[in-house]
Amino acid sequence: MSEAATPPPTLESDPESYAPSVAKRLAFYQSAGGIVTPFLTAVFAFLMGGIVVAATGHNPATVYKAIFEGAGLNWFFHFGNYHIDVPFTNHHVWFWWNTNTNTTPAYNLTQTLLTTTPLILTGLAVAFAFRCGLFNIGGQGQYLMGAIVGVYVGSRFVDMAHIPHVLLAITLAALAGAFWGAIAGFLKATVGAHEVITTIMLNWIAYWGGSYLFGRDGPLQNHVDKSIPISDDIAPGAKLSAIWGNPALQALHSGIFFAIAALIVFYIILNRTTLGYEVRAVGFNPEAARYGGISVGRNFIVAMAISGLFAGLAGGLDILGWQFRLGVLDVQVSNIGFIGIAVALLGRNTAVGVGLSALLFGALLTGTSTRSLDPSVFPPQLAGNLALMIQALVLLFVGADLLIIYIWRARRKLRLPGARPKAAEEPA
Amino acid sequence: MEAAPVLELRGITKQFPGVLANDHIDFDLRRGEVHALLGENGAGKSTLMSILYGLYTADSGEIRMNGKPVTISSPKHAIELGIGMVHQHFMLIPVMTVTENIVLAQEPTYAGVLLDYDAAAKRVRDLSDSFGLAVDPNARIQAITVGQQQRVEILKALYRGAEILILDEPTAVLTPQEAQELFEIINELKSQGKSIVFISHKLNEVLEIADRISVLRRGKLIETIPREGATEAGLARSMVGREVLLRVEKRPSQPGEPLLQVEDVVVRDDRGLEAVRGVSFEVRAGEIVGIAGVDGNGQTELIDSLTGLRHPVSGSIRIGGEELSRASAREALDAGLGHIPEDRQRRGLVLDFNLAENLVLHDYGKEPFSKLGWVNPRRWFRWARGRLQEFDVRGGGPTTRAGSLSGGNQQKVVIAREVSRNPSVLIAAQPTRGLDVGAIEFVHRRLVEQRDAGKAVLLVSLELEEIVSLSDRILVLYEGRIVAEFPPDVSEEEIGIAMIGGRRSEAA
Amino acid sequence: MSSAGYIGTRAHPPSPAAAGRVGVGIGLAAFIVALPPFHANTLWIPLFVGLIAIAVGIWVLSRGARRPGWTAIGFGLVGILLGILATRANVGNLDQVVVWGALLSATLVWATPLTFAAIGGMFCERSGVVNIGLEGMMLAGAFFAALGADKFGNWEMGIVTAAIAGGAFAAVHAVMAINLRADQVVSGTAINFLALGVTGYFFIDIYGENGTPGDLPRIPDVNVGFLGSVFGHLNVMIWVSFLLLIVAHITLFRTPIGLRIRSVGEHPRAADTVGISVYGTRYAAVILSGMLAALGGAYLSIGYLGSFSENMTAGRGFIALAAVIFGNWRPFGAFAAALLFGGSTALSFRLQQPWPAPSVLFQALPYVLTLIAVAGVIGRATPPASAGRPYVKQ
Repeated sequence: MSEAATPPPTLESDPESYAPSVAKRLAFYQSAGGIVTPFLTAVFAFLMGGIVVAATGHNPATVYKAIFEGAGLNWFFHFGNYHIDVPFTNHHVWFWWNTNTNTTPAYNLTQTLLTTTPLILTGLAVAFAFRCGLFNIGGQGQYLMGAIVGVYVGSRFVDMAHIPHVLLAITLAALAGAFWGAIAGFLKATVGAHEVITTIMLNWIAYWGGSYLFGRDGPLQNHVDKSIPISDDIAPGAKLSAIWGNPALQALHSGIFFAIAALIVFYIILNRTTLGYEVRAVGFNPEAARYGGISVGRNFIVAMAISGLFAGLAGGLDILGWQFRLGVLDVQVSNIGFIGIAVALLGRNTAVGVGLSALLFGALLTGTSTRSLDPSVFPPQLAGNLALMIQALVLLFVGADLLIIYIWRARRKLRLPGARPKAAEEPA
Repeated sequence: MEAAPVLELRGITKQFPGVLANDHIDFDLRRGEVHALLGENGAGKSTLMSILYGLYTADSGEIRMNGKPVTISSPKHAIELGIGMVHQHFMLIPVMTVTENIVLAQEPTYAGVLLDYDAAAKRVRDLSDSFGLAVDPNARIQAITVGQQQRVEILKALYRGAEILILDEPTAVLTPQEAQELFEIINELKSQGKSIVFISHKLNEVLEIADRISVLRRGKLIETIPREGATEAGLARSMVGREVLLRVEKRPSQPGEPLLQVEDVVVRDDRGLEAVRGVSFEVRAGEIVGIAGVDGNGQTELIDSLTGLRHPVSGSIRIGGEELSRASAREALDAGLGHIPEDRQRRGLVLDFNLAENLVLHDYGKEPFSKLGWVNPRRWFRWARGRLQEFDVRGGGPTTRAGSLSGGNQQKVVIAREVSRNPSVLIAAQPTRGLDVGAIEFVHRRLVEQRDAGKAVLLVSLELEEIVSLSDRILVLYEGRIVAEFPPDVSEEEIGIAMIGGRRSEAA
Repeated sequence: MSSAGYIGTRAHPPSPAAAGRVGVGIGLAAFIVALPPFHANTLWIPLFVGLIAIAVGIWVLSRGARRPGWTAIGFGLVGILLGILATRANVGNLDQVVVWGALLSATLVWATPLTFAAIGGMFCERSGVVNIGLEGMMLAGAFFAALGADKFGNWEMGIVTAAIAGGAFAAVHAVMAINLRADQVVSGTAINFLALGVTGYFFIDIYGENGTPGDLPRIPDVNVGFLGSVFGHLNVMIWVSFLLLIVAHITLFRTPIGLRIRSVGEHPRAADTVGISVYGTRYAAVILSGMLAALGGAYLSIGYLGSFSENMTAGRGFIALAAVIFGNWRPFGAFAAALLFGGSTALSFRLQQPWPAPSVLFQALPYVLTLIAVAGVIGRATPPASAGRPYVKQ
């Protein structure tokens, strides 16, 4: 059965005019390799990081072990007879791990989970936008907006009861992030401005906006000490309850439940609602979606808004959960939104993937931090930069998805039906 | 005039994964002749020429130029050997000028460093004068007409010293007058000793311009004959391999109420020019109205306006009595419109969705497919299985990715979706493009079925045989206006005249 | 409409685009009129001048040139706003802030790294490869310039080392984007992280607690006394940036090389069919952009500041990218944008004395302006047609 090859798209008919979407490639990617490719990607990245470490005279094995312990993952390996207290009663049940955070592994693990929480959300932010064919690099700016609004609402309304206050703060924080994201979506929908550029610009506007607000003589600078460029503390009633660990030493807070709930909500929206159907259709083929009656512009706006919502929520949760205040330094040093990009890409933009990937990066970041890493094994400042390099390598390898897939396929000698890369020539 | 072959291809064979594109093809070209290469889509014409132009390498076979064997390794090499190609999709850079496009990669320079623009413009002017190819050297490509762009492509080849010109489907994008101008240019080139390979699938053109005709079918050379004595029917038979069915079996139509009424519709194209200039017609229940015309006379814009994708500047469009000229795509679909778009892969289907998801592309938001925004995929699968069986879609089930189906089956999915919605008006745009004969027959049968079930069917196609065999009434669209209406038993000659504006012997 | 590649000018009446540029100037004048030495002190004067700018903008719009028209209107509005703010400011403070000579040389200083990176980014994007990684390449240049200058003992080697480093990072991006056909934005982001990590890692490993040595060899100034206080003591790199600007403009628009680069960026298949090496051209453009961005970074570390600190580029690479876009992918346009952005940085530093808080907002100005430009309020910016799309060779 002979068929005509579709003629190559003329430049006018191709709507993507600047840095096309990644959604198409990731769709193909998803159908070819499942969990193997992300796993391989991570392995390669760590391998190359190890090479750098070895090249500068340290032992990669001991370094990675130290990072592992710094992340608290060794906590899972110490079995024994312990117990947990059942809340609201005087009983306790047997548990095989020691949950007392006076031990270092337990404490480190709480810190890992503490970092994982916002990473899940910023990862979801990037992932959701990708599913609609949009590249949201603005997670950082949306996170900052959430943090700013979170700290503002949290520090006012001091007389509000705990639960309403918390809900108000995180709702407004999430909405702030949604608004920030929607700006980019709106610009793309109306004038076709590419979201990569607009979100990068919005990131920096949020960065300097935050620096202005909390800086010396800034409108939101704290009332207590005018020499410190920092915000007011949030009201004690607005702090999220700690669920594991000592609140005085930065305990794991209930925000993690919000993050896990967000993973579920992400999945449900995309796969069980008409909104998700539209978003996915637009992400795969905006032309066909338009012909089918779907409003592409509206979906761009909604997708970017939901994307920003996740990131803004992350900002709010971090403030209410453990930061409790926001300073100019915090604004300028924070990069959790950017790590969300690597989280989403490694996790293939799926709920499960983002969750696992966030955990991996959370462990990496905590394990290399000054507080958790044993300095005698490897200087933490070096380790922090090592973490950056590993993230970069993950991004590079994810970007070279074709490469990984070809390597994997060549080994398996599998021919996947129908999944031919666009590179293959079709006879004319 | 008899002369030694300036180009010979012997035994060219090229295999792609899954298909033998060229199977031991022999082809030769004499100096100063026009040799046409005829065949259906997918017969292997473009592959053969791509080999000649150095874009592919043949698996086996030999190429000789003026008697000497050559291996053509790249387009650059082909250009050096004097072979020039005018592609079907122009290789021109829209934002640059005519001159810049022509001299690209062989620019005249001052002292080897700076671009000598004046010398370049002069050379372009000289070339265009000597071959009668009128162009404005300083115009930007995006501002000139398609016919002029084609002349620029030809000049590009001539500038690089081409003695052999390959024209790949050159009239596909031209208006009839522009096609006539092209033929005059070809004759001028011939008289100056250039040799031309003319690739086409249009029988009438080939018979007009060629000295010899070679027919390819499924990768094989069927015959090479001189123009004298060749007939349309004979060529058609060689191209397709059997008697071509020109008529579809159907009962006479019994038209009812007008379901689609179009009045004085004016639509602008992407550049802001009027593409549809006051078109009025109606399609009644139980009839198929076919709109014939050369590509580029406003068909796309007309369909876009009917389907809600482009708003007309003025005029009224009514479906089932409801005024819908300002409607969105969704509103038009809800009002009882069905649309089989002309590019099934880009506009008809989301290739990365599975078949079930594609089948609900319009109505996913309504019951029973979803409720209050909530979706149950399993319900989709059940319904989809029924539809796929009913429309005999092969190659997968509800969970199969649409991209893995063949073109024919993909089109079946699109038709299944549109027809199952029970629209009152069905618009089919190029529904059989790129399909094999079996799939074409399926599509035609379905369209007639719909018409017999009392729907109003509007068929827009560039294939005249399709229009003539299916339609109960034929309208001809020319330069944005309906210029004629014919019954189905009209002669092809008469339609042809209307399609080119009724001025067959004048060149504009 | 992009006016790229317009060779061969002909005399004709003032085009709307030129009038638009005049309007922009008048809009700026509305602000400047409130500053020393003019010291306009009623708000009507900036208002009046700004309205002229807006009127010019409207006229330009009516002629159909959307982008220049809206730009003039935009600048008119901004000029009115800033002018009115300035009239309400204390004259003494204004005098302190707006010392034109110092402001101008500070503008040149801050604009220069942007110019280098922007010209590099422009070539890269003109060839069809998006380069988000300018920030990383600049940072790499800053660090390796310091390292090279320190280890080899002179600033020339510092520059060479920087160029090699920038080229190396760019080569990674090139392989990813061109051969592996990866998503170019992801690849660029990865380069930024990679450069941040690598420079930070080696900075701490080699220099540890103390940082780079205080006697780091510096790129010298050019002392041409008779050119006055502003132009008399400019750094070598600043003069090089002027030269670079001219060379870039000539190369891109008046040489065959420039024509070919542009063709690869607009329609790679067309370029391929006439025998131009698409891959080769793109590789050259990407690596060049890395080297130029690195030179910009080198100016920062061993030209102006005399040291390196982690992440010292602080987003300047992104400002350079904004300058490329704001300048419509043309060298002089990007330079004008770089001056504007450098000027807002310089102004921000000078404003710190009297008004510490709002001065920070000026740092956000480049991003706001670019957002407006890209948003199409000032007309849609038209990048090279195939920017960001990997090319598949047959």
